[in-house]
Formats: sequence, C-alpha cells, structure tokens
Amino acid sequence: MHESLLVFRKRFYLWVALLLVAVSVAAYWYHDPQEPPNGGTLLGYTLGTVGALLIVWLAWFGVRKRSYASTLGTVQGWLSAHIYLGLALIVVVLLHAGFQFGWNVHTLAFVIMTLVIISGVFGVIVYLRYPERMSRNRGGAPRSELIDELEDIDRRSLRVAESLGADFHEFVASGVQRTQLGPTLWKRFRGRDSSQILLRQGGETVITANAGQEAALDWLAEQQSMSGDAETVSAISELSALIGNKRKLLRQLGADLKLQATLEIWLYVHVPLTVALLGALLVHIVTVFLYW
Amino acid sequence: MRILIRFITKNAAGGVEYSDKIIEAPAITIGRATDQILQIRDRRVHLQHARIEPENGDVRIASTTLAGVSVNGRSQRETELKPGDVIEVGSNVLRVIQAPEGADFAISFELRDDATSEHVEQSWTTPTSGISGWSKRRISWVLLVAVLVLAFALPATTLLHPSLAKLVRGSSLLPDDGLWLAGPLHNAHSSTAAECETCHVNAFQRVPDVACMECHDASRHVAAETSPVLGEIRCATCHREHNEPAELVNRHQDLCADCHTALPDDIDLQPAGDFLDAHPDFRVSLNLPGPGETEWNIEHIRLADALTANRSNLKFDHKVHVAAEGILTPDGKRVIECAECHVPETGGARMLPVTMDDHCSGCHTLSFDPDDPARVVPHGDPAGVVQALVEYYSARLLGEGPDVVEQRVRRPGRALTREDRDRAAAEARQQALAVATDLFERQACSNCHEVSRRDDGELPWHVEPVKLSNDFFPHSDFSHAAHDTEVTGCDSCHDAQNSEAAEDLLIPDIDGCRECHGSGFANRNNAQQMPSTCVMCHSFHYDRKGVYGGSTP
Repeated sequence: MHESLLVFRKRFYLWVALLLVAVSVAAYWYHDPQEPPNGGTLLGYTLGTVGALLIVWLAWFGVRKRSYASTLGTVQGWLSAHIYLGLALIVVVLLHAGFQFGWNVHTLAFVIMTLVIISGVFGVIVYLRYPERMSRNRGGAPRSELIDELEDIDRRSLRVAESLGADFHEFVASGVQRTQLGPTLWKRFRGRDSSQILLRQGGETVITANAGQEAALDWLAEQQSMSGDAETVSAISELSALIGNKRKLLRQLGADLKLQATLEIWLYVHVPLTVALLGALLVHIVTVFLYW
Repeated sequence: MRILIRFITKNAAGGVEYSDKIIEAPAITIGRATDQILQIRDRRVHLQHARIEPENGDVRIASTTLAGVSVNGRSQRETELKPGDVIEVGSNVLRVIQAPEGADFAISFELRDDATSEHVEQSWTTPTSGISGWSKRRISWVLLVAVLVLAFALPATTLLHPSLAKLVRGSSLLPDDGLWLAGPLHNAHSSTAAECETCHVNAFQRVPDVACMECHDASRHVAAETSPVLGEIRCATCHREHNEPAELVNRHQDLCADCHTALPDDIDLQPAGDFLDAHPDFRVSLNLPGPGETEWNIEHIRLADALTANRSNLKFDHKVHVAAEGILTPDGKRVIECAECHVPETGGARMLPVTMDDHCSGCHTLSFDPDDPARVVPHGDPAGVVQALVEYYSARLLGEGPDVVEQRVRRPGRALTREDRDRAAAEARQQALAVATDLFERQACSNCHEVSRRDDGELPWHVEPVKLSNDFFPHSDFSHAAHDTEVTGCDSCHDAQNSEAAEDLLIPDIDGCRECHGSGFANRNNAQQMPSTCVMCHSFHYDRKGVYGGSTP
C-alpha cells in the first residue's frame, strides 16, 4: 500500500518537528537575555547551533538518497524527516536571530535558507500532485504509448508523402526529423515546441520554425490550394489530417514533458542554493566570531 | 556560399530518388542540434559536429569534436575537401560531388529511414541536460564561490593591511567588512568611521576594555582592577553594540541583582534585588552636629529612624509657612508657595540650598529700630551685630555719622568735651546691648536659631551654627524634573503641611516610591507601576564618592 511521504509512520517526524518548534518557542518566551534577543545570547547560541546542525543534516539528505547500500533508515523516512524538520528550521533560525535583519552576511544566510525552504515546499507540492496530473494528462497510458502513436503517425505520413513525390517526402521527413519538444529542461518547463521543418521558398530551402506543426499545416494548405489534381488533393488532405493528429499528440506530450520538467526543475534551485547556504552559513559563523 | 545538398532517398520499391536543395549560407553546419543546416539524428553525432566552409578559394571541413571527422576513411580534425571525398559522420555518409552551375559547393547525403524513429524516442525520454547547459553541480559551484568571495574573501582583505582596508572600504563597489555587521552601530560610535578594528582589536577575541578606554575616561569607571569582585565583567557586558533596538546601556536588573542579592561577607552593603520587594529600606545621609561646637558628621541612618532626626540647629515650622490660610508678609497676608524657597538647580534634578539672603530675609528682616526700619544688622555674624548696633547708637548720640538721626549730647555752639564723649559712648553701648539682647533672645535671631547666653566669651550670646542636609541620597539619581511635580504637587511626597519642627525629615519612604515604581520585570507590577530597574536610580559608574557621599575613604 502506497503511503504518502507526509503521513509516513503516522506523521512521526511531524510531531518531532512540532516538538522542536514548541521547545524553541517556549525557550524564547521564557528566556530573559537581559537585552533584545539576538544570536549572541545563551539561547541565541543554542538555537544557532541547533539550526546549523539541522542545515548540515538536511543537506546530508542529498548524500543519503544516493547511498543505495545504506541501511541508516529508509530514504522515505529521511525524506519525511527532511520535509518536516526543514520547515521547523525557519522557526528555529528566526528565534535564533531574534527577528533582527539587515544588509549583511547573516541575513544573506537567512534569505538563502528561506529560498531553499520555499523551493522545497514547491518540490513537496509537485511531488504530491504532479504524478497524478501526468497520469491524467496521458489518459492513464504510459508515455511510450504516446511515442509509439507518434511514430506510427510519422510512418504513415512518410508513406503518404512518398506517393506525393520527392518534394513532399523531403518536406515530411524533415518535419519528422526536426520534431522536438524542449530539448532543454528549461524549454520543456516552459512548454516550448522547438520543432522545425525545411520549407522550399522560391528555389531555396529554409529552416523554418514549426511549433505546433503550424508551418507544416500552412504549407500543406498552400499546396492543396495550388493543386488541381483530385488524387493529389485527397492525399494532401490525408497528410494534413495526420499532421493535425500529430499536433494534438505533441500537445499532450508537451504537457507531459512540462509536468515532468516541473518535477525536476525545482531541484535546480533547491540543490545549488543549499550548497550556497552551506557557504553562507560558514561565512556567518566565521565572521560572527572574527569580530566577536 | 551557395551550397547544393542532394538528398538521396530510397523508396519502398528499392529505387533511388534525388532531391536537390540550394542553401545560401556562409557554411554548412553538420550536427545533431536542430539549428544545424544538415541535421543528423544519430546518437554518435555531436550537437555541433563539423563545419564545412570556404577558405581562400578552397573548401575545408573542420570538426570541433575530439574524434574529429572521418574523411576518406581517415580521421581528420581539419582538411580540404575535393569532389569525390567521402565524409563519414556517425553512420551517415556524405559525398562531395562536383558543384553544378550556380552552386559553389555540392554534397550528397543519403537519408536513412531508420534514423527517423530512433531519434524521437531518444529526445522524449532522455533527461535533458540542465538549464541552458547549466547543471545543478555547475550552478552550485558558481553560487558557492560567489558567496565565499563576495561575502568573505573580499571583505576579509580589510584585515590584511590598513591600505587595503582603506581601498576596499573607500570603494562603493567592493564589498567590505561592513557586510559582517550583526547590527547597526549606535550614533555615539559613528566616529569610528566603520573601522571595525577600532574596537575589534584582535580577530576571534572579544572586544577588550582597553579598546573602550582609548576614548572613554576610565577614571570615572569601576574597572575590574579597582573592584576585583566584579570578576570577568567587561565594558561590553553592559554596553552592547550592534544589537538593535537596544540602547548602548543595558539596564537589565539582573546585571546588578545577580551579585547584589548575595554579596560576599566582606562587602559592607545591604543585599538588594528587585525594587518591588527586595530593595532594603532607604537610608538617608544627614549632616548632623557633632559633639564639638563646629563639628558636623555625615551620618547614614535608616529613614524610619531619621523621621525626626534631621537636626540642623535651625528652628523652622513648615506648617506655619505653607498654611492654606496664608501668612503675614511685608506684602500682606498671602499663601507662600513651596517653590519660593525650594528652587530647582539647573537641569531640575535637585533643589538649590535655601539661604537666608535669598529666601528668608524678605520677611525675616533684621531691623531693630522701628523709627528706621530699613536699617538691619548683618546676618551670620553675632559679633558684627553688636558692633553694628554700637556704631549705630554712638553715631546717633555723637552726631558724627553721615546719617545722624539724633544728637542728644551736643549743645549748639559748643564742642564736645571728653566727658561728653565718654558719657555718650557708654550710653550708646548700653543702648546697643539692650537692643542686642532683645534681638538675640527675643526677636530676630531666636526666631530661627538656637541662642544661648554665656558669660565666658567675648559675646554674651552663642548662636548654634546651622548646616542643612542637602543631599539625602547621594547614591541615587533622583530628579525632581523627571517627576512632573507641577502636576503631582510637592505634597504628594513631602508632608510639609503637618510638619512643625525643622527636625522633621520630609523625605518619602520606599513605599511612597513603590506607588509608581515597581519591579524591573513588567509582569510583576500592578497597573500603576512602571518597570524600574536598578540603574533607573543608581549609577554603576559614579564619581568616586565614598559610600556615604563623602570622598573615597
């Protein structure tokens, strides 16, 4: 039975995180530091140490999830703890800082940490929602089925184009070869159809953008209007219909790739910012004691 | 360059079809990427695999890939192309053919049918690399290095050499160690001009007291060496910088009370803690007459024991003076305000001393002759009083003064004889003594002073010297100005209306203060009480007064 990572072991780590928050808030409430609360009081140092250890441990998740041989807890358990303790971290650090901010390296570390956590929250949301949305978008079928269908359309288009002569065949073949969604993660995330096609314009061949198979369909419509031969016209309209179907299929695939890219792309914020956070944390700690 | 590309297609029947295409481009780019002129869908082909372009009349092929490109079976990084050359790119074969009329260069390319489907699957499923070629690892490195350089390495150059520090801090672009500030500097310290090392003398060490004493007068401070009991307390224990919204002075009660609630035995101070309930009863410093005639001792007495002990050798009845129905004055009967005698010093903290000249003599004139009310005896000099009276009456009898009123011994047209003079002098002296007796014993002096008769001295009277206590609490910083006395009224603290003796101590006790001043911790106070910590009344750094307000023992 599949268990969501949020309810893992009856939300055990949620309670751990809530306990951490409760203890921190209570300590902050009862502690009278004899000055405005800040990182330099006894409680400030304590919460700072807890926060720094948490950050290092949270970042260690990136190592643990790659250690397939490790038996130190399950990765699912680690992720569940990673999420809840990562959220608790914000409270711990805010109390550590006594809500003091400024244009300095200390607030820099806080800002980076906040961005990491926000991106992590985004990651949790997409992990929980997007697999189902992807499945719904594909009508429950696996992606390979859509690709098989696409290849089938391409094959049939090529066969029809062949009967229409070399120009058409070359046109369709170039369209097939240069069909592309993405290809980079960013373009997939943006839902970019970067397909191209070779079109003949006045004796010369031009590489033309073919997003949504628009250029192909336009060219076919043009050819159809110029052609008087009934057989040619019917072949062209068959080709148009095939490419129209291909367009629909590409939209579906594009949406699928976009959803998948979303599942991946937040890590491009989360992971590098985590590394930057470790650097900023080090700078924060060193500079605080450098000018003690 | 006009390039002819001949695409060769094998149809289903096995026949071969050609299709020529003319492309006007500076070069033929060959590769897997979609922006290549000749796009080859083959995993073994790089995104930008090779480039064919004219050079000095020749046409050359160059490959950017490590393996190069295979021309006529030989791998080449760069070579010249001639008609008939066979170029292999992955499993695809390109042939250089004789350029026909109208083209500068021609090449044939066989389209492989199986290439079409393979690529599609490829591009859909393979995870694509990063964002615009930026992998997570690469972004991470860039961010990490940026943070370390901008937030640490560049600012840290200020530590290396003063001239570097000046350069970095002077530049508006370079990040300096101001980025490390944990909070803003107080205005009082703005003169350090953001030179952190002014106070942070040694890296990784707390700010030492000597850094503070570079500017601040240490002599007025209780430094660790003068008070060993203070132990490890540093200037910065109470004076914290970079910690908004704190003041530069930490007024927290526990800073004092932690020690003062339980002082070591050898320290002669009463234990003191929270003002609400752990502060000892007030003790007042009184100037009291000692056993000798001119001896005065400052004594430190519990306020409860000093309520009628404020001896100054003066007689004074507050009740009569501030009576609501008024008192007879030279201007008629009127009510005297407290402020007519009790005048605050500049700044309004305490009261200036009350003096005869400024505050009493308006009513208490030292006149003695009803016929000459403007004539007065001097104050504060008993011998001078008798002297003045003798002179006055001698002049009157002998008529030699500038303002002769009466000439009782002179006869017109006749000079005074020696006997006349002696007689007159004796008479004047007698009259002066009679008036002096009246003044000292019955009228002016004895109204306010303790006067006793004695026969042994030059003068028959002795007036006890007067000394008023003026600073009852030398170690607390009470300020009348801070207490809004015009609103609260003097009588809210000082019960002058009911005091008939000068010995009455009209200083309110601690309960009077506690009506408004409570604990240092707001949550312990009632609605009328304001949080009041030790330093609200007591200074940590005081001018080196002795315990009882005198000089340091």
